[in-house]
Amino acid sequence: MTSVDRSPRAGDGVASPARGSTPSPPVAQAGGPRRSRRRHDGWWPVLFVLPTMVGVVVFYLWPIVQTGYFSFTEWGAFGGQTWVGTENYVRLANDPDLGTAVVNTLVYTAIVLLGIPIAMVVASLLSRPGMRFTAFYRVLFFMPYVAMPTAVAMVWRLIFNGDFGILNWLLGLVGIDGPAWTSTPGFALVAVSVVGLWTSLGFAVIILSAGLRNIPPELYEAASLDGATAWRQFRSVTVPLLTPSVFFVTVITVINGFQLFDLLYALMGQANPAIQQTQSLVYLFYNEAFLRNDKGFAAAIAMVILLIVGAVTLLQFRMQRRWVTYA
Amino acid sequence: MPEATLTAGAPPAAGRTRARRTSRHGSNVWAHVLLATGGLVMVFPFVWQLLTSLSTNAQVMSVPPVFWPGELQWGNYAEVFAKLPFLQEFWVSVSITVVRTVGQLVLCSMAGYAFARMRFPLRGMLLALVLSILMVPSQVYLIPQYQIVNGLGWLNTVAGIAAPGIFSAFGTFLMMQFFRGVPDSLEEAARLDGANPFQVFVRVMLPLAGPSLGALTIITVLWSWNDLLWPLIVSTRAESMPLAAGIATFAGRTTTDYTVMMAASVLAMAPILLLFVVMQRRVIDGLAHSGLK
Amino acid sequence: MKHLLRSASLAGVAAVALTLSACGGGDDAADDGAAVAPTDAQAEITYAIWDENQKPAIDQNIKDFNEKYPGIKVTVDLTPYQQYFTKLQTQGESRTLPDVFWMNGPNVQLYAANDLLEPITGLVESGDVDPSKYPEALNELYSFDGAQYGVPKDFDTVALWYNTALFEQAGVDLPTDDWTWDDFTAAASTISDELADQGVYGVVTELNGGGQSSYYDTILQAGGHVISDDGKSSGYDDPASIEGLRLWADLVADGASPTVQQLSDTKPNVWFNSGKAAMFWSGNWSVAEMKDSPNKDDFGTVRLPEGPERRATVIHGLANVVAADSANKEAANAFLAYLGSEEAQRTQAEMGVANPAYTGTQQAFVDSVPSFGIDVFLESADEMSFPYPISQHTAAWNALENELLPQAFSGERPVEDVAQELADAMDAELAKE
Repeated sequence: MTSVDRSPRAGDGVASPARGSTPSPPVAQAGGPRRSRRRHDGWWPVLFVLPTMVGVVVFYLWPIVQTGYFSFTEWGAFGGQTWVGTENYVRLANDPDLGTAVVNTLVYTAIVLLGIPIAMVVASLLSRPGMRFTAFYRVLFFMPYVAMPTAVAMVWRLIFNGDFGILNWLLGLVGIDGPAWTSTPGFALVAVSVVGLWTSLGFAVIILSAGLRNIPPELYEAASLDGATAWRQFRSVTVPLLTPSVFFVTVITVINGFQLFDLLYALMGQANPAIQQTQSLVYLFYNEAFLRNDKGFAAAIAMVILLIVGAVTLLQFRMQRRWVTYA
Repeated sequence: MPEATLTAGAPPAAGRTRARRTSRHGSNVWAHVLLATGGLVMVFPFVWQLLTSLSTNAQVMSVPPVFWPGELQWGNYAEVFAKLPFLQEFWVSVSITVVRTVGQLVLCSMAGYAFARMRFPLRGMLLALVLSILMVPSQVYLIPQYQIVNGLGWLNTVAGIAAPGIFSAFGTFLMMQFFRGVPDSLEEAARLDGANPFQVFVRVMLPLAGPSLGALTIITVLWSWNDLLWPLIVSTRAESMPLAAGIATFAGRTTTDYTVMMAASVLAMAPILLLFVVMQRRVIDGLAHSGLK
Repeated sequence: MKHLLRSASLAGVAAVALTLSACGGGDDAADDGAAVAPTDAQAEITYAIWDENQKPAIDQNIKDFNEKYPGIKVTVDLTPYQQYFTKLQTQGESRTLPDVFWMNGPNVQLYAANDLLEPITGLVESGDVDPSKYPEALNELYSFDGAQYGVPKDFDTVALWYNTALFEQAGVDLPTDDWTWDDFTAAASTISDELADQGVYGVVTELNGGGQSSYYDTILQAGGHVISDDGKSSGYDDPASIEGLRLWADLVADGASPTVQQLSDTKPNVWFNSGKAAMFWSGNWSVAEMKDSPNKDDFGTVRLPEGPERRATVIHGLANVVAADSANKEAANAFLAYLGSEEAQRTQAEMGVANPAYTGTQQAFVDSVPSFGIDVFLESADEMSFPYPISQHTAAWNALENELLPQAFSGERPVEDVAQELADAMDAELAKE
């Protein structure tokens, strides 16, 4: 994602000698030699972008606009809106479940983010010189990312089962009496987060491995010549040059973390005694919209999710200048 | 972290001393130990799933756990095939996935190319709009999208199942990132030969985009294969249920029969896992391109 | 039907019921619903269901229906229960509901109140549907504001399932139809003490996902109520209701029942099915599952024990309904009438998939699994059944039950406090209806 606000591409400003041959777009004189190639794109961009834009507007943006409007209304069970002003937002602000959901979502995201340092270690190990079986290891780490969440949740429920699960049996060997993991408040969130981490770790490993591969070996040589220790090399070469990849993975992880729902639902189900203390923002939305049939209120929750994710993402892009280094 | 681990970031570099190299090789043992342990943890749930699917229910519920079921209960799989129209659902999943994937490959690469390499009014704003949809959870779109599809008269059609999913902000972004990195010289050479932008795109750019298109394919296939709710809601025919939904029905039907449920879930994941293992090099190379660079 | 129970939260009292007679009043002639299609009608309709187990019987129903109506093509739309009502709601928003579909008690008033369902008044008047053939409590359940909206399909009541082998091991006398709460709790307590080393519990039931097979029954047995007859106020603050809740809290505290968390991790049917619980409060929906259990030879059923006030079980059943916006209403009505017929329901019974609602066809279901003594479910329906508690937005306060009651059952908070909080919150929800 980093390139989004990167400086202009290297090619910018290179005059294109090709302009004359562009087939008669109905637009625009070339302004001047410098940017002329771009100008000559004429109507072509429309052809390229229009299908996607139409789809995005119709199926995504318009629903968001609608949701924004609905958040100021009260819905009849099956449509029919009454304007209620900011009532839904006021109610939401006073709803203790919102705070719980925000905290849970943050905790989940934070735990899943712990996967990034782990992934860095794994990626470093994989790219060691002379390392063998790397393809095999990468398959092992990436498999959870590929697996079907509904199917995977079933086996995790068995593993986490308080009475018959293998996890508690293992804990029992060292004298710990484990809880009913997916049904006890507190533990349930940890259990869900661990599965979330397990699922997404492989993705981070792959991206970070690619990032490592792109670090020019000369930098290490230079550092070596300067007498830098291994630790020093890691700190002053590996880490800074890996930051763009880390940034990318972080942004993706955070966006996904804020959308926690499927995993929670599949692991816990809606009739779980711990669900209220464990619910995420999207669960809160789903519960209001589809179980309690309060779609105006649910729309307000959706807008809050959009605002939070938007703000966090923006903040990440702002902050990246402080820690992300581009080679 | 031991120091040996930390150096690991360094790719093989010329000019290292023999002594160092030897020490590195020595420490690879530790790397193998760590990776193998981690890999075991990662893969354990799959192993456990497979073992459970071949056990009896009594074994699943026994304490201490039974690690090896002894006599393998292949009958659990036979029961899945008897109760679940597996092949039919498999083909539904495949066809939905193919339509969505092809649609995304075409639309995302075109839009990504335009955003990366063309200049047009409002480009930045349009891009921001496209990317903003990533931030909204999909559940929010459910009812509006259904209403739109219904308004278009697309219920129960392939178009209806595919429609929202062939437009992808992530895919557009991914392709844009790739096209940004292509040197101008290639494009310009083609234009010099008189190619129009579309020809440039098809003849010059797309052939270069193989790995990124591969990454996009993988991500779309995964998402589509595992997507349950949308196909279920726009289609009202029992015979058009995809595998993910079929498994959910199966699991919802009984909570008792752990072993048969596990067999069903193994079968649901098997096609995609096999595909992955066979294609792993391309999958990983493709995804590696999706980062930056 | 069994999913009804598991799915959290479905509950509600058939309060409205009183206001109407099953035969519906003809006070609203314009809204009687369309007539039945002629036998040579040509149409295509959709029938939405959620239980895959029942699909073979339904396919058979459709085949038989087509002998009479060869021109009406029925497409079955099977959606897993977890997604069924989400889908129905989405369709309801767009007025694209299936022509005929399954409905349950907790949702019927929501759909009826929003004019999404076709009343069956016309069918009753024309004699195509005869409500007197179904249990009265079910007709009541599917009636709202003076009209009936569904034709009962099947029903379930709750009984006490037990495992003879475990009773014998613990040296406890087998349950009888004359048991009281005291007999029941004493047995549960003894068994869990005696067989603790095997990890066996005295009793299990659903405590997280709705109270149909647990606290709804005990509340009635103690003389309490979940919701008032007019559907306007909660009954959870009634001292008798609190007593009904306390029975379960005490069983958990005593260790005679697994905790709420344990029952969420391992569902009650699994505990019983695998021989890890000696007693199981559950309905006839468990028959299909238990007849395949490795322990099936040890299973039996008796009536629920008698509470301080009376014998009681809730009764719930599914109904078939026709969408008000159906484009082929006459064809849909013809199919609806057929599904409610003796022939169709007997087919379902004979195929052993559901306990049919049509009086006189149930024996076929009982005979389909002779060993468990399941005529107890029919007797209970006749002698001690009460309508399932519902209101217009049943799901809203079902969510409150699931949220709050575990705190009482786990002993985290006193039962009275939780019951009072639940009653207040539920009243607030009911006031919004």
